[in-house]
Amino acid sequence: MTTILPECDIPIPQRQPHIVCHDPENMVLPMCNVQTVPGDMTERGCTFAGCRGVVGGPVKDAIQLVHGPIGCAYYTWGTRRNLSDTKLHRKYCFSTDLTEESVIYGGAKKLLNSIIESHELFPEGKAVFVYSTCVVGLIGDDTEAICKQASEKIGIPVIPFHCEGFRGVSQSLGHHIANRTLFEKVVGTAEPQESTPYDMCIVGEFNIDGDAWIVKPLFERMGVRVLSVFTGNASYDDIPPMHRAKLNIVQCQRSSTYIAKMIQDKYGVPYINVSLFGMKQTADALRDVGKFFQLEENAEKVIAEELAKYQPMIDQYRKRLDGKKCFIYQGAPRAWHWMGPMRELGIETILTATTFGHKDDYEKIMEKAKPGHICIDNPNALEIEEYLIKLKPDFFIGGLKEKYLTYKLGIPFINGHSYEEGPYAGFEGFVNFAKDIDVAVNSPVWKFINKPLEVN
Amino acid sequence: MALINQSSEPVKTVRKTRSVTINPPKMCQPMGAILAYMGVHGCVPLVHGSQGCSTYPRYNIARHFRESAEVAVSSLAEDAAVYGGAKNLTEAIKNVKSRLNPAAIGICTTCMSETIGDDVKLISKKALTPGDTMRIFPASTPSYVGTHLTGYDNALRTLVETLAVKGEPNNKINIITGIINPGDIREIKNMLRLMNVQSIFLSDISETLDSPILPGGHKPVLPDGGTNLSDIADSANSLGTIAICRTAGSAATYLKNKFSVPSLLDPAPIGVINTDRFVQNVCKLSGAMIPDEIIKERGRLIDSMVDVHHYLYGKKVAIFGDPDLVSAIVRFCAEAGMNPTVAMTATKHKDFAPDIKAVNSEYRTDTQILEGTDLYEFHEVVKTHGAELILGNSKGKDVADDEGVPLVRFGFPVYDRVGVYRYSIMGYNGSIYLLDLMTNAILGHKYDPNKLHQ
Repeated sequence: MTTILPECDIPIPQRQPHIVCHDPENMVLPMCNVQTVPGDMTERGCTFAGCRGVVGGPVKDAIQLVHGPIGCAYYTWGTRRNLSDTKLHRKYCFSTDLTEESVIYGGAKKLLNSIIESHELFPEGKAVFVYSTCVVGLIGDDTEAICKQASEKIGIPVIPFHCEGFRGVSQSLGHHIANRTLFEKVVGTAEPQESTPYDMCIVGEFNIDGDAWIVKPLFERMGVRVLSVFTGNASYDDIPPMHRAKLNIVQCQRSSTYIAKMIQDKYGVPYINVSLFGMKQTADALRDVGKFFQLEENAEKVIAEELAKYQPMIDQYRKRLDGKKCFIYQGAPRAWHWMGPMRELGIETILTATTFGHKDDYEKIMEKAKPGHICIDNPNALEIEEYLIKLKPDFFIGGLKEKYLTYKLGIPFINGHSYEEGPYAGFEGFVNFAKDIDVAVNSPVWKFINKPLEVN
Repeated sequence: MALINQSSEPVKTVRKTRSVTINPPKMCQPMGAILAYMGVHGCVPLVHGSQGCSTYPRYNIARHFRESAEVAVSSLAEDAAVYGGAKNLTEAIKNVKSRLNPAAIGICTTCMSETIGDDVKLISKKALTPGDTMRIFPASTPSYVGTHLTGYDNALRTLVETLAVKGEPNNKINIITGIINPGDIREIKNMLRLMNVQSIFLSDISETLDSPILPGGHKPVLPDGGTNLSDIADSANSLGTIAICRTAGSAATYLKNKFSVPSLLDPAPIGVINTDRFVQNVCKLSGAMIPDEIIKERGRLIDSMVDVHHYLYGKKVAIFGDPDLVSAIVRFCAEAGMNPTVAMTATKHKDFAPDIKAVNSEYRTDTQILEGTDLYEFHEVVKTHGAELILGNSKGKDVADDEGVPLVRFGFPVYDRVGVYRYSIMGYNGSIYLLDLMTNAILGHKYDPNKLHQ
């Protein structure tokens, strides 16, 4: 038996299959992608969050209109650090702000007017993305028809996303809905202005704290033309020609493999999985892409330049971090993306957890895990606290909601969702990551945690 | 777009006429309800809705207070949309109870659970076994009605309705806080201590959302601090109730109607006159005398206003945020000789416009009143009426940057500066702090340093 029931879960034994201690002789994956136990203090979000917050939100010149009561629009207003070189999608928050009257009589008219007004006030918006929240699904507004009508009237695409928060078990379904909607309604609606034999899309790269600005030039220096980044710092117009790429590479393999696979199935464009974090994984990704485009020499040249510049810095950080142990709790892929890079810094990940991982995420974790590694699916606050106290990692990479719980325990913390001082991707980003870990672990503040005030 | 009044015309209340809301400085009811519950000792907030409905408010609390905020959720999904959410809520109550053994569970509903029509009161009642000591507060907080302030008010009233019981007079006064910061609550407690008045805070986040790191300890899921259930029960026996924020005043009205506890609903204690009123109200209800220390604090506020009046006189200031805080700050700015050009709130409240009109007539100011609108409109009015300083929460940053003027942060949430929750802008001391923040913002922004040597 390799599943574990922590003390805090004794009253809810249904949590046991979700928590696994890795045993290579008897490998079990945590149960995953199922409904949360009600009231278990989950860290999970909703389908709307996955659709609006993660995949659709970064599109920089779309008017991001949330159809529902005000909260859902407010809470996704500029929060996730998906940067862009325009301000539209982070500076402005658009909502139909539904009230009781709309819940009773329907929100169709308000939605139509809101789309038209948003377009009039912000003609720079290339499209309008309309996200449905819980109540819209319940009252049954025909958002498809309204968006079609609005699009005919204003002459730009109006895309409805049926991402009501109550659908599915976590944010994960929202990613899928965003992928499918953009594939079905946008990809293939326009041809690229020009095509080259070296056209590639970077899929599942959301430009968190500027990640895309680090990784995109690496491929461009190799001679690859990046047709689109899906969806970090993307313009709406970058999405229609994605089907003409020669290759797609997939960074976030939870939220965005869907679209790569759909493009492969319909248009025959192959995709490969990459990890653009850490020195080795980034180099491997460049080599894989080089091999595909027969640009191996260019890839080696870029890798050599980058390593010459950044490896010495990583070596310095390794000296300061060697032997440390960490927890990584992320949405899903970054848990396994970062286990290898941590070893490049001499750090072992002793516990991983994901909010919405599927079977393939846990397989990737287990491939990298050492015996005794703890892996938790959809952890809750009490489980996180119990393991932090029990295993005392040297630091914890999690999200904002876990940050202050961890601090109060005197454990250093890195915000892995939006980063501390990122970007963290690519060779250069990994130096930032290493620096942030060094800052967290080696700050003098921790020595006061258990130092009492003594009277001599 | 709304009409903008020229300064020669009488001020009208401006309301948004667009359908679309752009940049709303308001949140939904569960956000406020969770904050009300977080001020109750041993109370776990439980959101009856989708998982985003707990995650998003938690995120907001974490980034403002820089504290963990544990909230349970009933994780409603498709099956609940068809069959109702009773099963999920019952199981959630059971699981929270068995794992945390809380003194109480504070339920807030959402747009989902309200639309599917779950009878939360009945479900909660059934979830308790005979002899259960745990209490459940079944607040109705649909996200499509009102704002975060409505949610705070509904949750707080539900707390009091559930717990308040008539008993012996306790010689205390009830203080309804509303959504204010831990620093504000500590300052009000400090004033009451100086006046030697016993109090019951409804509710009290001053410790639960501003907790220390102590040797060997950590912040438990049910943190230290918060008002005890027994004290909330005793609120029926108090000398009276004062609401710092009138938007949270319905519990005061309930206590008045049901238990004849007098209630005094006046502006928030910011600035000279509003703080005077608060002190007078405390005296009126408790019979306390005003101690010398309070007189000295008041004197220091006036001293500080005199010290900076050359810097502030006529300075145009635009203010947005929750109505109780905005209208009180408008008055304070006028007292300091500033020119409040725009006062904006997204939450409609009956006292907002009359408060500001009263300031306009007393100080001959021409403050534009924007109610139930958004920051897009606020910005438009700021452009036409001018502002050399903006006061508001972190969402005002873009307006301030676009206008090239400083932003002094107050209210909720403030996530792009540290420590705002720790300090008070209330009472005489807090008003001094706010005054200094405003003055220093002006002096720190393109002010000729040659003028500051003497």
